[in-house]
Amino acid sequence: MNTAMNDSNEVLIDCQSVWKIFGGRAQAAVKAITERGLSKTQVLQDFDCVVGVSDASLQVRRGEIFCIMGLSGSGKSTLIRLLNRLIEPSLGKITVKGKEIARLNATELRDMRARNIGMVFQSVALLPHRTVLENAAFGLEAQGVAKEERHRIARAALEKVGLADWTSRYPRELSGGMQQRVGLARAIAADPEIILMDEPFSALDPLIRRQLQDEFRQLTKSLGKSAVFITHDLEEAIRIGDRIAIMKDGVIVQVGTAEEIVTKPADDYVSDFVAGISRIHLVKAHSVMRPVAEFRNSQPNCDVNALLRASPEADIGELIDLTTQSDRDAVAVVENGTVVGVVTIRGLLRGVAGKPAG
Amino acid sequence: MDISVITDTFDAWTDTTLGWISDNGEWLFEFIRSVLEGTYDGVLWLLQLAPFYVIAIIAALLGWRLINALSGVLAGLALVFCAVMGLWTETMSTLALVITATILALFVGIPIGIVAGFVRSFDRFLEPVLDLIQTLPPYIYLLPAIALLGYGPATALIATFIVAMPPAIRLTSLGIRMTPLEFIELGQASGLTTWQMFIKIRLPFAIPSVMAGINQSLMMAFGMVVIAGIVGSGGLGETIYSAVRTLDIATSINAAIAIVILTMVLDRLTQSAARRASGEAR
Repeated sequence: MNTAMNDSNEVLIDCQSVWKIFGGRAQAAVKAITERGLSKTQVLQDFDCVVGVSDASLQVRRGEIFCIMGLSGSGKSTLIRLLNRLIEPSLGKITVKGKEIARLNATELRDMRARNIGMVFQSVALLPHRTVLENAAFGLEAQGVAKEERHRIARAALEKVGLADWTSRYPRELSGGMQQRVGLARAIAADPEIILMDEPFSALDPLIRRQLQDEFRQLTKSLGKSAVFITHDLEEAIRIGDRIAIMKDGVIVQVGTAEEIVTKPADDYVSDFVAGISRIHLVKAHSVMRPVAEFRNSQPNCDVNALLRASPEADIGELIDLTTQSDRDAVAVVENGTVVGVVTIRGLLRGVAGKPAG
Repeated sequence: MDISVITDTFDAWTDTTLGWISDNGEWLFEFIRSVLEGTYDGVLWLLQLAPFYVIAIIAALLGWRLINALSGVLAGLALVFCAVMGLWTETMSTLALVITATILALFVGIPIGIVAGFVRSFDRFLEPVLDLIQTLPPYIYLLPAIALLGYGPATALIATFIVAMPPAIRLTSLGIRMTPLEFIELGQASGLTTWQMFIKIRLPFAIPSVMAGINQSLMMAFGMVVIAGIVGSGGLGETIYSAVRTLDIATSINAAIAIVILTMVLDRLTQSAARRASGEAR
């Protein structure tokens, strides 16, 4: 167990082929899917059932922020509710911290939700008749923590989100952004390993939103929490997520890092989505560089060793800076002391345009 | 065969049953009557403990705290006016009747409403029953009550209790069912037990609706308590009833004014208490 705690590859949430089907004849539809492999449209036609989530598989590792991006109706809100069993899956297996949550009894499930999985809602859901402090302490109150103790912890949590001075106010006295901070404080006060974020920042104005995105990422990382973050905004997913899953019509279309999704979109739907995304900070040197030999062939006069140097993880923004500082039109990519490739201006332009090096 | 035979048989059956119940259940109804009248006497004793101006001052203070200073003054003066008309004793016994019947109605109605809020099938069964209770002319409830409990305040209390209960049940049940979905989700995601969910989430959101139900029950009780003057309820209802019988228009108007004053004062007080409760929940 101790080794597992430190293993950054430990899988905290594991979803395997999870389906959620809504409708009166969901059971029959599930049977038809397992036996005959019916498609979503067929299920709707034959059983009058809506497929909310279709054959979704994903793994969330310890310490990771996992974003699920999709438009409304894509099933992302259903999917996140399957992870803490607010919605029962129709089919498939969901394991949280090694326990299959469908098998937990009522007490075990309550305990799991109270201690291991926090949740933050788009609507914030702060209790209007309680103060900010009492709201932040709500999860601990549910666990039966004594008043003084839970208020002390809640106060510390509010401090972390910058609301130490607002503890005795009521939610209606706070702005939207501050309310959502209380929501976050309430989730972290219970000290869960996993935080489920259901479009928490969607209703906020852009400036506050960016600020909260950065704060959230920083806070989650510094506390060593894992998070599943739902959003309909790809830029938000890129800003926050270590990995991103793109959902469409209940199906997970692609899972990968921001760079993978932007540079290698799985299908037309994803490439449409990423078309407007700035590559400057996403695309790294290793994906736009040319092999050294090829560079030498095309420009025999240029001494590779005299070029300015960058690491393979340098993004296009840094490479542009280096290129503009230098009197040459190329930057050498160096790994462990050896030059592994060269980024030319052409390569940079290709990167910015979202085309792979070639 | 004539249809009237059936109805005649039914009427005869009803009469015999009622007769049988009152003969054989006398000890039970005697007991119910003494409990009801005992409670009523207790409340009345409490209200008559203080002279009229103390009650008026209490009403004024409540009006000031719950609404505003002007309303407080008006509430106090209005009650003093009842005393000036020489109807203080009657006003207080009417108030005692209304309070006793409403409290009874709430004691029974709110728990039933809570259960109905949770159990959908029970609510569906209750709906037509409450409709029936509320659409039947309120006089109806006086008849079986007078047969079983006799002439006096106990009969008035039971009839008033029946009339006052439906709004408490309906609005409590509505309040319990109205909990916003996001807060139910919050409760579930925080790992609340069923009991915690009720106490910490459902009940606080239901309180404004429950308070509205209390106010409605009170108003229904006021309506009924005047009608109950016919069965010797005592108080303003009986004053009006005997004034009507002797065509004493002046007295009936005075008593009617006193009823209006009492109703309005209590309505405003409970309404603003309700608004205060919902204001905090907003």
